[in-house]
Amino acid sequence: MNELAIKDLLYKLADDQLILGHRNSEWTGFGPILEEDIAFSSMAQDKIGHSLAFYTLLQELGEADPDTVAFTRNANQFHNSQLVELPNGEYDFSLIRHFLYDNAEIIRFEMLSQSSYEPIAKVATKLKGEVKYHVLHANTWIKNLGTSTEEAILRLQASLNEAIPYALGMFEPSQYEQELIEAGVYAGEEAVKVEWLKRIQAVIEKTDLKLPDLNTIEPKFGGRHGEHTEHLQPLLDEMAEVFKIDPTAEW
Amino acid sequence: MYGGGNVFEATKFDNLQTEDPAKLAEFEARIARGEKIEPNDWMPELYRKQLIRMIEQHAHSEIIGALPEGTWITRAPGFRRKMAQMAKVQDEVGHAQLLYSAAETLGKTREQMLTDLINGKSKYSNVFNYPAFTWADSNIISWLIDAGAIVNQMANAKGSYGPYSRALERICAEEAFHLKYGHDAVVHMATGTPKQREMIQAALNRWWPPIMTFFGPSDKMSTHTETLMRWKVKMASNDECRQQFLDMYVPKIWELGLTVPDPKLKKNMETGQWEYTEPDWDEFKRVINGDGPCNAERLAVRRTAEERGAWVRRALLNPKAKYVKPLA
Amino acid sequence: MKVIYLQQLLTQLKLLTNITMLKSLDPRVTRLNLPEGEMPPAEPKQELDQFETYEAFHQKKEGTAHTYVGPVHAPNEDVAFLFAKEQYSRRFPCVGLWIVRTENIMVTPYAGDQENVYDLMRLEEPAERSEQPEPYEIFHLKKRGKAHTHTGRVMATSYQEALHEARTQFGEKGPIVNVWVVKSKHVLQSAEEDKDMWTTIPEKKYREAIAYKVMDKITKYKEENKTTA
Repeated sequence: MNELAIKDLLYKLADDQLILGHRNSEWTGFGPILEEDIAFSSMAQDKIGHSLAFYTLLQELGEADPDTVAFTRNANQFHNSQLVELPNGEYDFSLIRHFLYDNAEIIRFEMLSQSSYEPIAKVATKLKGEVKYHVLHANTWIKNLGTSTEEAILRLQASLNEAIPYALGMFEPSQYEQELIEAGVYAGEEAVKVEWLKRIQAVIEKTDLKLPDLNTIEPKFGGRHGEHTEHLQPLLDEMAEVFKIDPTAEW
Repeated sequence: MYGGGNVFEATKFDNLQTEDPAKLAEFEARIARGEKIEPNDWMPELYRKQLIRMIEQHAHSEIIGALPEGTWITRAPGFRRKMAQMAKVQDEVGHAQLLYSAAETLGKTREQMLTDLINGKSKYSNVFNYPAFTWADSNIISWLIDAGAIVNQMANAKGSYGPYSRALERICAEEAFHLKYGHDAVVHMATGTPKQREMIQAALNRWWPPIMTFFGPSDKMSTHTETLMRWKVKMASNDECRQQFLDMYVPKIWELGLTVPDPKLKKNMETGQWEYTEPDWDEFKRVINGDGPCNAERLAVRRTAEERGAWVRRALLNPKAKYVKPLA
Repeated sequence: MKVIYLQQLLTQLKLLTNITMLKSLDPRVTRLNLPEGEMPPAEPKQELDQFETYEAFHQKKEGTAHTYVGPVHAPNEDVAFLFAKEQYSRRFPCVGLWIVRTENIMVTPYAGDQENVYDLMRLEEPAERSEQPEPYEIFHLKKRGKAHTHTGRVMATSYQEALHEARTQFGEKGPIVNVWVVKSKHVLQSAEEDKDMWTTIPEKKYREAIAYKVMDKITKYKEENKTTA
């Protein structure tokens, strides 16, 4: 198996989870309901934990240690989709992003738990249950709020419209796509997208929300090869502020 | 994270003569036997009011206490600290939830308590009105403020009110992580690079005076306090808590070669008591009454969280649902 | 229709009127775009967010009884489950969770720690009965200050009959301070296939005290500074 292809896959999985986990952690202490504050923080922690697991696999393949990789790279070295780096906005946007993202993430985890590349299969199998809760959480919220007040529905719809081009950006194919599919690592981005669409439609149909016509939308690609919005670099600077006081120190 | 302090003021419910003597005797006998009081039991108004006040202030201290350390949640260095800092701040929110629930069993709704907090009508632990300037401040809070809180909470867990004890048992179990995590972070700083050591000493210097006020001024002994001690609402005097804290943690600070910024601090070997510079209680009062470095920001943030989250609660409110206070 | 976010609105306001915004030590707070200084007094709010309460029971290990852990506020039982799962089962081993709306729990009076509440109660005639017997879940509190634990299930046509049955089946032994009776249909139980949501909890060591061991560092520091002193 081409190691570069595996590394590319691991970087995009890890960077997605790290950046979204970081964004979601910004809500801790500011959530709309105490219990929801707690639930959202747990999921943020899980995501950071998942990124650590994937960075650890990268380290086993000869990359730098997870702290160095996460806290010292610049935006153009990150492989996350642009969806996860966008600012949190209000809770509607954060929820919609959570819904769009985790419904894709669970499919990746399901596929990867069957992967021919055993180290990924092991990690994905172990962590799948956590993502399952994330999806249950997201879908329950969207179903509840998406059938509630006009105010809530308008907010969610506006956020959905705003997020959807970025969500499509998650499925930007990599240059190793064919290789990964043929080697049985996972079924590839197009397959993830098809399944994702089925699943989010099934939830949205139960609400008063409308999925925009995806054929008319230009996906926001670029994140997977280091092209990012203006929001990522400040996020990284903030995240590494203390670490960079002395990267060789033990904190 | 709560140290008590400004809690045990007299209230207009102090007069026990209006209470039914037979019921009062039964209530006191139950406590004397070491049994807990449960929400449906008869209880004197003074007991109910003081507990609501105390548990509510404790809950506010947790939700506001999430903010000083939350200051560093997005900047914690390295995976180990990043995840732990998130979990630690999350726990404080979780503790608030547990404590508001315990207070609710006594008849005040969570919504009313949050409204009173936002409007400045009820207090929270004074230390959280001080800023966390650097990452090191956050480490000092995690270690020493939580250490102080544990001293207080371990005592209160033995109190007479069942729901509060249950909540505190869970809280203490979680605080054990906070304490170890905080200590771990401080030790890394103190034994690390010169820059780290300088950061942690500066943070200790900033936080020591507020820490010394954490347990509140010496209690004035009155019949009121005696009643609350007999009823196992107040479990230890403020000075006892402070002495216990100094006994447990000053040696741990000193063994790291850090300086406690109080030249008078020493243990008197004859009395077994710690001697220290009397904290500035005037400042303490000023800050409690709103004039501290972060009071306005803390309340503004809490209020903004409530206001910007209102649409979510509005959307899901079931008009037919009936609010029932939690059972235990 | 377009939703204008409060945040955008405030930013515009700031540009237009030159109001200074709060610059906090916490970058998250700075991003909230709050005005500097005192905020105007909060509007008196309507009762808008008083959700119902639900009580949660967790199961620590396979084969052990579900035990009461505490309440959550939630708009319905599905959301209550989401909330209780993280509030009450994020830290310690857990394999399952039950959720019951507080309103659906019938509570007996409380006895003393040495008493058996079944002996002190006179069971009243039920106000309503179901035609067919249905299952009820019984929870006992053994000691004040402790937590209610699931004792078993009985078949009955009313709460009173369920309590009577519970006394016959489980009420003989030792002090029982209080009993909760719940219709089984009112208990939302986590599904067998959802157990994997909890499997990784024991591995999340970063939030356990045991993960933090610094004695070596302290000892090393003390030794090094002894020799240089």
